[in-house]
Amino acid sequence: MNWQILFAAMLPQHLLLAGIVVLLLAEILLPRPQGSPLLAALAVAAAAAAAFLLQRAGFQGTPFPGQYAAHPTQMLAVLVMLLLALPAILLARAEFRAPRYYALLLSSLYGASLLPGSESFLTLFLGLEIMSLPVYALVVMAFRRTQAPEAALKYLVLGGVATAVLLMGVSLQFGATGSLALGRFETLLSSSSLVALTAAVLVVLAFFIKASIVPFHTWAPDAYEAASLPATAYMVVLVKAAVLFALLRVLGQASVTGLLVGVFGVLSVASIVWGNLVAMRQTSLRRLIAYSSVAHAGYLVLALLGPAGGRFQSVTLYLLAYGAMNLLLLASLPADEDDERRDRVEGLRGLFQRSPYAAVMIAIAVLSLAGIPPLPGFIAKFLVFAQVMAAGHVALAVAGLVASYLGIYFYLRIVQLMFMSPTPAHSGAPLAAGAVDVATGLLCLLPAVAVSLFPGWVLGQL
Amino acid sequence: MSEAFVLNLVLWLPVAGMALVTLLPAGRDGTVRWLSFWLLLAQFFLALWITLRFDPAVAGLQFATSVPWIPGWGVRYSIGLDGYNVLLVLLTCFLGPLVVAGATTAITAQVRLFHAMVFFIQFAMLGAFVAQDLLLFYIFWEAMLIPMFLMIGIWGGQRRLYATFKFFLYTAFGSILMLAAVIYLVWWQSQATGTLSFAFADLLRTPAPREAQMWLFAAFALSFAIKVPMAPLHTWLPDAHVEAPTAGSVILAGVLLKMGTYGFMKLGFPLFPEATRAFEPMLLALAVIGIVYGACLALVQTDIKKIIAYSSISHLGYVMLGLVSLDIVGVQGAILQMVSHGLVAGGLFFMVGMIYERCHTRELAAYGGLAKLLPVYSVFFTILMLASIGLPATSGFAGEFLVLLGAFNSAWRQHLAGNSYALVLNAIAVSGVVLGALYMLWFGQRFLFGASKAPHAPLHDLVPREKAILAAIVAAVFLLGLFPQEAMKRTELAAREFQQLVQRAPAHLSLR
Repeated sequence: MNWQILFAAMLPQHLLLAGIVVLLLAEILLPRPQGSPLLAALAVAAAAAAAFLLQRAGFQGTPFPGQYAAHPTQMLAVLVMLLLALPAILLARAEFRAPRYYALLLSSLYGASLLPGSESFLTLFLGLEIMSLPVYALVVMAFRRTQAPEAALKYLVLGGVATAVLLMGVSLQFGATGSLALGRFETLLSSSSLVALTAAVLVVLAFFIKASIVPFHTWAPDAYEAASLPATAYMVVLVKAAVLFALLRVLGQASVTGLLVGVFGVLSVASIVWGNLVAMRQTSLRRLIAYSSVAHAGYLVLALLGPAGGRFQSVTLYLLAYGAMNLLLLASLPADEDDERRDRVEGLRGLFQRSPYAAVMIAIAVLSLAGIPPLPGFIAKFLVFAQVMAAGHVALAVAGLVASYLGIYFYLRIVQLMFMSPTPAHSGAPLAAGAVDVATGLLCLLPAVAVSLFPGWVLGQL
Repeated sequence: MSEAFVLNLVLWLPVAGMALVTLLPAGRDGTVRWLSFWLLLAQFFLALWITLRFDPAVAGLQFATSVPWIPGWGVRYSIGLDGYNVLLVLLTCFLGPLVVAGATTAITAQVRLFHAMVFFIQFAMLGAFVAQDLLLFYIFWEAMLIPMFLMIGIWGGQRRLYATFKFFLYTAFGSILMLAAVIYLVWWQSQATGTLSFAFADLLRTPAPREAQMWLFAAFALSFAIKVPMAPLHTWLPDAHVEAPTAGSVILAGVLLKMGTYGFMKLGFPLFPEATRAFEPMLLALAVIGIVYGACLALVQTDIKKIIAYSSISHLGYVMLGLVSLDIVGVQGAILQMVSHGLVAGGLFFMVGMIYERCHTRELAAYGGLAKLLPVYSVFFTILMLASIGLPATSGFAGEFLVLLGAFNSAWRQHLAGNSYALVLNAIAVSGVVLGALYMLWFGQRFLFGASKAPHAPLHDLVPREKAILAAIVAAVFLLGLFPQEAMKRTELAAREFQQLVQRAPAHLSLR
């Protein structure tokens, strides 16, 4: 084994691991540890810097041949996830002070960062499980909510089902091709044998469960609602990003054809329609975000139908815009001792009068998620539909676009509550935004501004 | 080079204004108002300079900038002035400072946000007019919705939430289908010609096959027709107009509605010539229905703001009539009518706002004999009312007359060829002129004359600020009415190009 390549190729992961070790030691040794959010943020920032430099340098290396490979595209996916993780950590600092929360979060991130570089289903499976297991614990850590254990259990059971379905699919692939290599998955797609097709469909469905695609989405609203807000932010953004990058990796350079076009197309349009429709009726903000994330998962899966060459670009840009804006939304929510009150959509009433900064940030976030230009969500959505059309699926693109119209109303309603409704009498004093809040907001806003003003430049980097 | 810079300056000045206003500390409302006013006034003078420098003898773009924006998809940041948009840009910049000046006493809550939104919508509207790239145009076109949504929703009247959601959801529905059409059109073009480009010039060069044109035109036309608005898609307009604050109504009537007709003129018709010719009888009928139906509805309204709102539907019907005539004079008249309606309806909405600020009701029955109570107000009102009817020497006459001239030109040719359909419809459209005079004069009679009554007894007449706003509008109305040639010579080449593009023979291009 070449130690130098092992060191360089997985440098971001090593830095995350160092962070985890330090956090765990602090948990064990120090009676009242301080500054764990900062430490976690530093570890992620260092990992992101390493990923950035390796990506710029065009580093390529295979520390574990046949299992794991580092290359610029993989590094870029890791970098995007790490950049999105940074605000997700910062927005947890008020609610969680103990190192264990951050140790779990970094562990999950470690698993996520293995996915884009996986070369075989073995590594991919390891990465998925390392990513998922800490999240179950993150959900249950919101002991302020009585439903938290129930939601965590539900999430765990459905996560287990997804794992089982994935393993079934993988074993069928092994049966059909005699190999666990991800490269062989492409051959399943073009094969006409029933076993191969079943394997492909099962693997894809496992990822659909994890990405909360209709009809496998029912865990998401419960888990998101019951989890603490920072854990929700992590699940909404990072877990979804990791699952999509994994699915991209599985599909490789293969185009989605034949039967799978139907599976992808029907389920993604159904997700967009159902997610948007049900989101309209939500009174809990996190459930609303959950259903809207079901719809966004629909756009992302639709993007996978695009030509193999442009797929990575469109998915990554979408994840960047979607992730940054969801994080901005969650990071800007005014703090409240009562978690359930904070979660109420109605609680945003008259926010502009109490905290103009927060209201403007949330407005930018939701209008972007609704895909209204000139905000980044539009550019991302446009690219997705342009790709789908370029692959020749005109009817699906039109259906998806029309379905996306359904997603405008509930986002507008949030803007309406914040700007157009009077402040309720019993609401608290005007809220001032702290320096770290603003910094977190800027961290989310920066990629958004880059995407909407210089989309050409951003796409050039992808 | 330096001239193109000025157009960029005009376009981006509002963004600078928005940033400045946002960064000012809270509680400095006076500073915000002055800063906004002067910035927008400066923008107007820049736009005026550009309009005067605009060379009417040059076909195609002037003051053009074109740099790659998203190279991978062939999207360019491409803007420029031509005969289609030069007058509309001037109109937009003309109304900007007036809107801010008019809102001084009406808008007292969240002043910073209000002015930021005025800047935002100025930016989006100007961008949509000057954009020469389809994606850029679409972005500006949609971006307009956000500030208008907030403007109606925050500073509007009683039913503002209903009105603003209706406005947003109505117009966004059209836009979504247009987006699908935009993507398909560009994708088809790249397949057929091998170059991926969103530039208007490239897209105009090779029209799609007839089948595709029908669908694409339907999607574009739906979006534009909602914005115009053409009957039967007009129902959002009265609600939006009535609930919007004065500034919102002025922007809506003055500029925003012209987006629809501009879209038809610049994109909808020229991009899909065969579909346009196929849909022409239907569009003609809808335009005439809009003229007559809008006028009839205006006749029976009891809310003074609604009268003007419905009169807008009628007047924009004329614009559509001029455009579908596909006649050079008709198209030039349509552009003139767009500008004229922007001035006149904008001015009338200002006047409704002024009386509403004094009396807090828009019920026509509550008023009477204002000529005695508010003499200066009444003089301005009479002038704008007559301009709305289309009295000679006002801008309304020039626009309406040219539109009808063009429409009859084209209808007569068809009549001689044995098809009297257009002639009959045009004859009905002329009745709209009579109806227009009827509802406006009747409105004026009940409003200004008769027994003096007003909800608030001692009414003070216009203050100098209000006089200045109205004087500027009235001056523009007369300038355009007395010297339409100055405007028309700038639009002539564009009108010729429009006619040529719409009437060209179908291209025979197959998919590669």
